[in-house]
Amino acid sequence: MFRDKVELKDFEKMDPEYQELLRRILTIQADCEIGGPHLYVEKMLPNAPTKLDQLIVARTAAEEIDHYRKVARLAGDIGADLSFVLSSPNQKRYVEAFRGQITTWEDFAVFGFLIDRIGRYQLEEFIGCTYAPLERILPDIIKEELGHIEFGATKTAELASKSDESKAKIQKAVNYWYIKALDMFGRSDSKRSERYCHWGIKRRTNAQARAEYIKEVNPLIEQMGLRVPDPNKGRLYL
Amino acid sequence: MSQAPNTVELDEHLREVVTALHRAVNYATPHVGEPKIVDKAIRDCKEILEVVMEGNVAEWVR
Repeated sequence: MFRDKVELKDFEKMDPEYQELLRRILTIQADCEIGGPHLYVEKMLPNAPTKLDQLIVARTAAEEIDHYRKVARLAGDIGADLSFVLSSPNQKRYVEAFRGQITTWEDFAVFGFLIDRIGRYQLEEFIGCTYAPLERILPDIIKEELGHIEFGATKTAELASKSDESKAKIQKAVNYWYIKALDMFGRSDSKRSERYCHWGIKRRTNAQARAEYIKEVNPLIEQMGLRVPDPNKGRLYL
Repeated sequence: MSQAPNTVELDEHLREVVTALHRAVNYATPHVGEPKIVDKAIRDCKEILEVVMEGNVAEWVR
């Protein structure tokens, strides 16, 4: 297992596998960060329930754009130009969860609750990682993702307790995004996942991270009076 | 290792974009009961975000 700290000046001397894996993970991270606003800005900025909610949508998008900026800067410094993801159509996103559009407040809430939480998990993979510049940008990004998660969780709980009709809409959103979330961890038998761990870029395998997520999020869903969806139904990556 | 083209320029441009968005939101949030202020902030954010969503990077770094 590789555990040395790598700075930008050391990168070009690193094993080609390390270089490729880092470029790949930065590309996917950047794509996910900007993929979020591309999902919800068009419909939710004008249509959020209150003026304050509209401002929160704008602030959330601003923070995700800033996360993209920071990750893209790291990638650019190692020669990887990630500007193309800024104009990628949604259907071309690396991660399937970002190929679509969010058109309801219920989906926006649950997206924050469940998918931004995946964002937190993915960022936490890099805590202590061997690429030091990546580790250094984490604290502010994770802090802001925690804000998105908290907002999403609060709104999901509110909507779940508002009325039977509202609860049914929120349950439908949870049914949709829960499965997308589990798939975001990738395949449990991924060899690449093991290589990320070998090089100290990530801390856990896909399977380990997914198991921890399920353990964390299932009680939260149940505490809201909602049903945890079948974790295997409709999955693309087991 | 060579830096990718426009790395610094794109970083600086997006930093300004994010600052502008936060400025609009932070100004409007305490005035959420004043429609003129809030509506203008939302319009400004919408305008800024529409440009970001278009992703015309060549235009931004020109």
